[in-house]
Amino acid sequence: MKLIRNILICAALLTPVAAGLQSCHHIEEWDNDVYGNFDALWTVLDEHYCFFGDKDVDWQEVGQRYRAAIKADWDARQLFDHCADMLDELRDGHTNLSSWFDVSYYRKWWSDYPQNYDDRLIEQYYLDFDWHSGGGFRYKYLEDRKVAYVRYSSFTVCAGESFIDNMLYSMREADGLIIDIRDNGGGDITNVERIAAHFLEERTLAGYISHKTGPGHDDFSEPYAYYFDPATKHVRWFKPVIILTNRSTFSAANNFVSVMQYLPQVAIVGDRTGGGCGMPFSSELPCGWSVRFSAAPVYDAQMQLTESGISPSAGGEVDMNPEDAAKGVDTILEFAITAINRYAEENRPDSPDAPDSPDTNRPADIGSSLTMCAHPFQPLLLRL
Amino acid sequence: MTKLFRILSLAAALVCAAAASAQMRPVLSAYTLEAGSSHLADTYLSPLKYSGFALALNYERMQAMKFDPSRWVMRMNARVGFESAQNPARNASMLDLDLSYTWGMMRRFNFSGGWSVLAGGSTGIDGGVFYNARNSNNPASAKCAWTVNAAAGALYNGRLRGIPFCARYMAELPLTGVFFGPQYGELYYEIYLGDRSKLAHCAWPGNFFRLDNLATVDLRFGATVLRLGYRCAVLSTKEAHLVTRRVTHTAVIGVASEWISLSADRSDGGEHARVISAMY
Repeated sequence: MKLIRNILICAALLTPVAAGLQSCHHIEEWDNDVYGNFDALWTVLDEHYCFFGDKDVDWQEVGQRYRAAIKADWDARQLFDHCADMLDELRDGHTNLSSWFDVSYYRKWWSDYPQNYDDRLIEQYYLDFDWHSGGGFRYKYLEDRKVAYVRYSSFTVCAGESFIDNMLYSMREADGLIIDIRDNGGGDITNVERIAAHFLEERTLAGYISHKTGPGHDDFSEPYAYYFDPATKHVRWFKPVIILTNRSTFSAANNFVSVMQYLPQVAIVGDRTGGGCGMPFSSELPCGWSVRFSAAPVYDAQMQLTESGISPSAGGEVDMNPEDAAKGVDTILEFAITAINRYAEENRPDSPDAPDSPDTNRPADIGSSLTMCAHPFQPLLLRL
Repeated sequence: MTKLFRILSLAAALVCAAAASAQMRPVLSAYTLEAGSSHLADTYLSPLKYSGFALALNYERMQAMKFDPSRWVMRMNARVGFESAQNPARNASMLDLDLSYTWGMMRRFNFSGGWSVLAGGSTGIDGGVFYNARNSNNPASAKCAWTVNAAAGALYNGRLRGIPFCARYMAELPLTGVFFGPQYGELYYEIYLGDRSKLAHCAWPGNFFRLDNLATVDLRFGATVLRLGYRCAVLSTKEAHLVTRRVTHTAVIGVASEWISLSADRSDGGEHARVISAMY
């Protein structure tokens, strides 16, 4: 009985110790009222948002300013609009507040710029309402212009490898490929690798990714270098590639550009991309509203942050001319077609401008002034 | 010849002695269904505490150990748990699937009046996932741990209106081990890309606290046992500024039975064998 008594005494002593250990794992709580929900939103962003330093946002000051303007008797709509205004201070297209009656967006990353894209114009005057499609792609070989055109409007869906293989192979006669990702707002970032792999010659540094290691504004991990492997058992394309971009090229589409821009056969044409290189996280407030925000920065292969967008290749900055558009001409697409045609003409084996021997590092001028590093007419590699 | 006779005599004496002290160690197998309430929180997914229901299937196997059956008991436990909970606003759900397996041994101290006390240790693996469908790039928080645990319990065997019963309380507390957890704001996409640094953490009760309390009453109706009980399981971890908490209170109901494996060509001592049960 003495042993039982001793065990019971030990258990009685250990129980509060155990309970104490558990209570050390504190989880902050907020009231479900105007101030509680505001504080929860501010705190979630304060502890998790990743671009305060890069955007020079004094979040403490922002919080104090917006909290001072709150009225305790506000209804949900008033609080929502006020919180949305506070989030706009972050100038981040990945930051949204979602309630049962509205979703907030910061739109100035594209609304202050020309749209530079007209879907109907392409379909009517270039594709003649006759194209192939599947898996998020629309494509057509513009035979009379010797150019392959691929429209990819969202990274949320992506066709299987066999579809991409077939798509590229069917346009193998083209002098170059145009990938149109204007108005592509992103989607699943894993689709970036799937598509980019068809343009890689070897294992390639795709960029760096970092994450927060704690709630402090400067608590970040060492950037981790990540690589993409080529789609060695699939069709790969090494002829010239021009990617068309505008300010609405965002998030995963921006990431695609950040990877592709350093490939030797690729040039970027159009307007600066919209950015959005912070991988978003989600959280929520006591009232049930959810909030999404940039939490993990992704850098390009040269450790450049692309949150504010990626510029076109040198000489590739082109805007849509409204007069051209009225005539059914997409200025940006025309520029790209002309660039590919000129590049092809100058590099044909019988051309006086053709290089004596292939030089994969030779900068070549395509279009009027676009500079592009490309493999001069390296044959399309087929590895099925 | 005399020497051979002596050896045979000694061997015969040993066999007789073994037969006289033959022991049977029945296996106690219990299958139980558990249902009750759950309280979930995982700050990787949400800063809010969720509440809902918990369901579990549990298999427990106990047997006296061969090397010292009257003092040592083996306990194996396999469990599948499922929790579904909602946020305070009731507009988002968090699901939790948890699989666990533990194996351990306990020293049994028998006392007069039907009382016994168990104390020992166990080791086990525990894996699962918290899932919040509303989240974008952080919808899930994977859980995996290997732990070395302290285990203790008390038994009381008695009769209630002529029905033999066994009341038991068991507790298990991990003392050390290793558990998985991402960094504070680390995406699983980054892990997918190959960054696997700082994912494994050394566990101790300060950062990995799990207390599994189980109280059962086994009512023995002949060869079949009805098991009724209550389980309170608490898990609370904190690593990389991330807190995970799961508290479940569940009612336990199930059946148990003791069985012995016999083979025709094996001498088990027959009806003279001493039966040493793990619990009863």
